[in-house]
Amino acid sequence: MTNPFVFKGASDMPIISISFGDMDWNKTGAWRAQRPFYEDKTSPCRAACPVGNDIVAFIQKITQGDFERAWDLIKEENPFPGICGRVCFHPCESKCNRGHFDEPIAIHALERFVSDFASNLYKKVEKISGAKKEKIAIIGSGPAGMSCAYHLAKLRYEVTVFESSSSAGGMLRTGIPSYRLPKDVLDREISNIEALGVEIRTGIPFGEDLELDDLKDYQAIFIATGAHRSKGLHIPGEKEKGVLSGLDLLRKINLGRKIKLGDKMVIIGGGNTAIDVARSVIRMGKKATILYRRSKEEMPAFEDEMREAIEEGVKIRYLVNPIRIQQKDDMRRLECLRMELGEKDESGRRRPVPIPSSNFFIEADSVIIAAGEEIEVTFLPKGMEKREGILLTQKDGSTGIKGIFAGGDLTSTQRTVAHAIGSGKKAALAMDCYLKGKDSEEAIRQILIGEGPSISIFKYLHPGERLMNPHVVTFEELNMDYFEPSTRRRESKGLVKKRIKGFGEVTSSLTENTALEEAERCFSCGTCNECENCYVFCPDASVIKTEKILSHQVDYDFCKGCGICFSECPRGAISLKEEER
Amino acid sequence: MKKVITGNQAVAYGVILSRVDVISAYPITPQTTIVEELSELIASGRLNTRFLKVESEHSAMAALIGASTGGVRCFTATSSHGLAYMHEMLHWASGARLPIVLVNVNRAIGPPWNIWSDQSDSLSQRDTGWIQLYCENNQEVLDTILQAYRIAESVKLPVMVVLDAYVLSHTSEAVEIPTMEEVDQFIPPYLPEYPIDTQEPMSYSMIATPDHFLEFRYKIQKAMEEVPEIAKKVEDEFRTRFGRGYGAVERYGKEEAEILLMTSGTVTSTSRVVIQKLIQKGISLAGLKIKRFRPFPIGEICNEIKGAKKLAIIDRNFSAGVGGIFAQELKASLYSREEKPRVFGFISGLGGRDITPELIEEAIQYTVEHPRPEEEILWLGLKK
Repeated sequence: MTNPFVFKGASDMPIISISFGDMDWNKTGAWRAQRPFYEDKTSPCRAACPVGNDIVAFIQKITQGDFERAWDLIKEENPFPGICGRVCFHPCESKCNRGHFDEPIAIHALERFVSDFASNLYKKVEKISGAKKEKIAIIGSGPAGMSCAYHLAKLRYEVTVFESSSSAGGMLRTGIPSYRLPKDVLDREISNIEALGVEIRTGIPFGEDLELDDLKDYQAIFIATGAHRSKGLHIPGEKEKGVLSGLDLLRKINLGRKIKLGDKMVIIGGGNTAIDVARSVIRMGKKATILYRRSKEEMPAFEDEMREAIEEGVKIRYLVNPIRIQQKDDMRRLECLRMELGEKDESGRRRPVPIPSSNFFIEADSVIIAAGEEIEVTFLPKGMEKREGILLTQKDGSTGIKGIFAGGDLTSTQRTVAHAIGSGKKAALAMDCYLKGKDSEEAIRQILIGEGPSISIFKYLHPGERLMNPHVVTFEELNMDYFEPSTRRRESKGLVKKRIKGFGEVTSSLTENTALEEAERCFSCGTCNECENCYVFCPDASVIKTEKILSHQVDYDFCKGCGICFSECPRGAISLKEEER
Repeated sequence: MKKVITGNQAVAYGVILSRVDVISAYPITPQTTIVEELSELIASGRLNTRFLKVESEHSAMAALIGASTGGVRCFTATSSHGLAYMHEMLHWASGARLPIVLVNVNRAIGPPWNIWSDQSDSLSQRDTGWIQLYCENNQEVLDTILQAYRIAESVKLPVMVVLDAYVLSHTSEAVEIPTMEEVDQFIPPYLPEYPIDTQEPMSYSMIATPDHFLEFRYKIQKAMEEVPEIAKKVEDEFRTRFGRGYGAVERYGKEEAEILLMTSGTVTSTSRVVIQKLIQKGISLAGLKIKRFRPFPIGEICNEIKGAKKLAIIDRNFSAGVGGIFAQELKASLYSREEKPRVFGFISGLGGRDITPELIEEAIQYTVEHPRPEEEILWLGLKK
């Protein structure tokens, strides 16, 4: 056989050195000193979400136009996307890496869009079939109780929810005005949970019509009765005529009760309840003035809410502290002190200090106190420990009494809808562990999102799937060469003139187009979205693509470990580690 | 259609008409407006060409080597330091026999820092295996690009088209622009010898052992030797189609002359006027424009210098330790010839200094008055 590589001379040689065979035999991967590999990491939004929503995943589905799957992904962790999309204070957005670039992604608006859009299209909530396991009682149908019920139902428990009020929803129903959370959205998401087979029994107040002894048939109990009692101001005259509690007033308005109010309302407090009350009474044709004893910077109400309240005509007077409420003719006369800010207190906010002899008076038809809420403790069973205004529980929600768990506002000072939903989910998991005799603390450790405290129940149900390194991707780890500045898409708001005429919702859902545009803005921190930069830039053609999609595999026979895929990945979804020798 | 355009715009027209598939370039004065023009056309969607942004001239050429290997028509433009930075890749392009066309706008190489016309940049790449063509005016620039693709794709060697900074690059002249249809008839689609086929992988420009390396170089020389004939054929066809032609060298002035003045680039235009004037004064004089530098057209030159006693040559370039590069090439090529006129090597106009009619006249007068040059390098207009 002749050697094909021996030529007679120039005349029978090609014009360039060329091999018609391939170089597959030359495994250049042996030169590699470092090894790239695909590894999804935790996005800062998800790490910040008390509910543990897989935000990047559902936004990716929006970009693909697959709203149904986006909805499924949210509902893995959260039964209340329509509610959270409206009323959550979205800590995810404050941590969004895009905020370092231009403006954070409007995650809440996307969540709301998915819920509204998907629930119109796909009525596919089905009852969980198959044999039920143990019976579990839940006391309180607020976000904590219903979140717990939802996840327990999906874990195939027989769940009964007891609610003192005439309809389910807890603070979602009685505490949040419908211009922020329309009742039909609440009803829709609660009925979706009922459709799983959860029974809700309303009009049964715990501690009155229902005692712990009545629940002997249930193998575990979750108490989430919330914090519905308005805190007093502890000033003279606050129990007198024409002085109301903010939560009571909101409850009456939300339940459609008739209320008689004068024209001029003064609301005392700086939280969301104060704002909710003020905006509600404005909608009833009243004048509302909020008195707050610190300055604007310290005000705990959400900034958007404050802005909208002011647009609607709510007056806010800062650094004013009422010290006495007097009755004068048919009016209330508040004696107030002007305040100034002193040193920082234990909350990190500057402490308001009275200015001596600065007393002045404000007159009002009604005075509404919205200075915070506290838990009702009278009905709590003996053996449960209470401290600093909350019921103490272990990390997994268990109480001092075996088989009884608690969560929501009752057990936390972080009283938000998202925290309540998260605590209900954690309790569901802990109760499952309890009933199966498993170590719940260990189970929680396994499914933490990032460093916690949020957990993923998807991880609990599907160990080994959609693995994610707990490392939270920082802005510095992203490659900004691949992003252009773009404006955050906003939900449209109704005109102020129209808004104050009733309790209709102030903002509208994003349209399909704006939702797609907003979703496109997402950096997809830590999660591959098939942008194919790695595939395009790999100089060794060692990023493997099969049937038009990336396989997320590297051909280590030829990968020389240059690290270009790692540095050109816009979103930190590729890791690099030194090869072991 | 006639348009009043700069030399750089003439380049852009040439590139558009040649249906180039891929352009990769890095900006450098005075070339920049060429790729600015082209990239804007591409960005606006009016030119269907891929523009690859790169971080250096080395990468620009490397990118084109990849694209050209893949089997598409490629273009880049550069100047001075940019061309120097490409040096390694210039060798690769010719060694891999890729018919890339590059426009170099002649500019001095620093330091001292200088952005004006000087041929030292392109001539210091003379050994990289590229065909080099120097242009005298904007029309020639456009026409040469069209011919360059024909020549490059015939002999499988890259071509450098060269024009003077500012005198051409940024100066407007009337240029006849052929239509796309006319050029399509002149330049056929590019058919690569070994196009990349991902289904049939091959290794390109792999190692060649001492057993074969010499032969590959021999084949490049053979291809270079084909250039005079192919270029002539291409230009004959071009002349038939478009009515214009330039030749590898062009002789003008007296038909029989004792003294010949050799120039390249825009100095030729000035020389034409001076020679006309001095012939009228009775000097036996002719001019010789050298358009092609590589392969060096010694055959064509010898055809044109029969009977001449002295050859004056003005080099707007400089190789330290030797002198003018055209003069050096000319002397070396003449050595083996029977007829060897005496070569007077002048250096002038470096770093963009004007080569005025007075300076050209001075060079000719010196050649007339001296039987032989007093020095190997005759500095023209030097302030001593």
